Amino acid sequence: MIVIEYFINFGKYIPALLKGARLTMIIALGGVALAVVIGVVLCIFAISGIRILQRIANFYITMVRGIPLMILALFLYFGVIKNSLNLVASAILILSINASAYMAEIFRAGIQAIDPGQMEAARSLGLGYFRTMQKIILPQAFKIMIPSLMNQFISSLKDTAILSAISVNELTMTAKVIIARNYKAFELYSYAAIMYLVIIAVLTYLSKIVERKLSYDKR
Amino acid sequence: MAPIVEVKNVRKVFGDLEVIKDISFTLDEGEVVCLIGPSGSGKSTMLRCMNRLEHIQGGAIKILGEDLHQVKNINVFRENIGMVFQHFNLFPNYTVLGNLTLAPTTLGKYGKDEAVKKAEALLERVGLSDKRDAFPATLSGGQKQRVAIARALAMDPKIMLFDEPTSALDPEMVGEVLDVMKALAKDGMTMMVVTHEMGFAREVARRVIFMDDGYIVEEAPPLEMFENPKTDRCRAFLSSVL
Repeated sequence: MIVIEYFINFGKYIPALLKGARLTMIIALGGVALAVVIGVVLCIFAISGIRILQRIANFYITMVRGIPLMILALFLYFGVIKNSLNLVASAILILSINASAYMAEIFRAGIQAIDPGQMEAARSLGLGYFRTMQKIILPQAFKIMIPSLMNQFISSLKDTAILSAISVNELTMTAKVIIARNYKAFELYSYAAIMYLVIIAVLTYLSKIVERKLSYDKR
Repeated sequence: MAPIVEVKNVRKVFGDLEVIKDISFTLDEGEVVCLIGPSGSGKSTMLRCMNRLEHIQGGAIKILGEDLHQVKNINVFRENIGMVFQHFNLFPNYTVLGNLTLAPTTLGKYGKDEAVKKAEALLERVGLSDKRDAFPATLSGGQKQRVAIARALAMDPKIMLFDEPTSALDPEMVGEVLDVMKALAKDGMTMMVVTHEMGFAREVARRVIFMDDGYIVEEAPPLEMFENPKTDRCRAFLSSVL
């Protein structure tokens, strides 16, 4: 009886929770997309060989990785952004700042995992540095990066729950708001958990397909 | 006729380590020269300096009359110098044909069709026409190195540099790579080969240069060097490898 009731209730709350899940996806996708841009810039700084740029990248990465996302979110939203940006944009920005530090490390590690002999061979054929990057190094590095990038995306998606601290109406916040009205914490938090699980399972499955499509070594 | 390569008093330092102390030699057109010596003697570094993969700290390297380390557009100039590496360094994200056509088409040396035609001819020359559409990961070591040689030749270089081309190969695959190199030498390619294959040196090289500790210790035609080395160091090295 209780089990049936549990699922009937789930059905009742699904429209509201789906709305929250939609916002969770928007924030995660937007945040990660922006994080890729910032991460690429940081990675270029890190491998540039120019000391001042390397220091900047290093400082940024150390700061962001050393501060809990909750503090980063509260500090940026209430301390810096205040009312200058709407909530969703703020959430995207905060998430991207957090994820970009990890992205930069993923990019750097991927590029540095490629045998230096690849660069030498391409250069010895007369290809320039950037051409070599574009045609030889990055395609190979990208393939290595995919699992890590996917992990980071999943991580960031889950991190959006922390952004309920700034009251953005994503999935976790939606559950919290409903619980404040009806005190059904067991049901609502488990519904939210199930929705996170489903989203992430689907994404993991998709990334496996992409990975398989891009492998050339095993042919 | 002026030599095609002129190396003069070259010096190369890695940090505190002086790898090449004072090296001078010349290569004439069509000449095959083998560079031998114990590991750590600086022979691979010397070869890499001849393609500007390493910068030099002293002296000069003239190739085709131009000072290699002063050339403004090194990418264009490198067309003249083909290089084959110990570990092949084929591009795993391209097919064999892609490896051969990438540089010529990207750099606008040949159009797509012409580059493919030329690549096919080169693959036939190294005996790998059937591997045209294979990916490097599926090839044996010997096949990879033959593709690497073909890839270098696709840019029509005037000089070919070989950095221990057979050292990473299983013994039974050494022969097929050396055969390709012998044929190349016969066709009149100017070649500088860092190698431990004394048989190849004896058969193909016009001169052998023995390097040790950053200097050229001895330089002679192969027969003369192998039968009758003049220095103790060269004699000791040869007796350990022959």
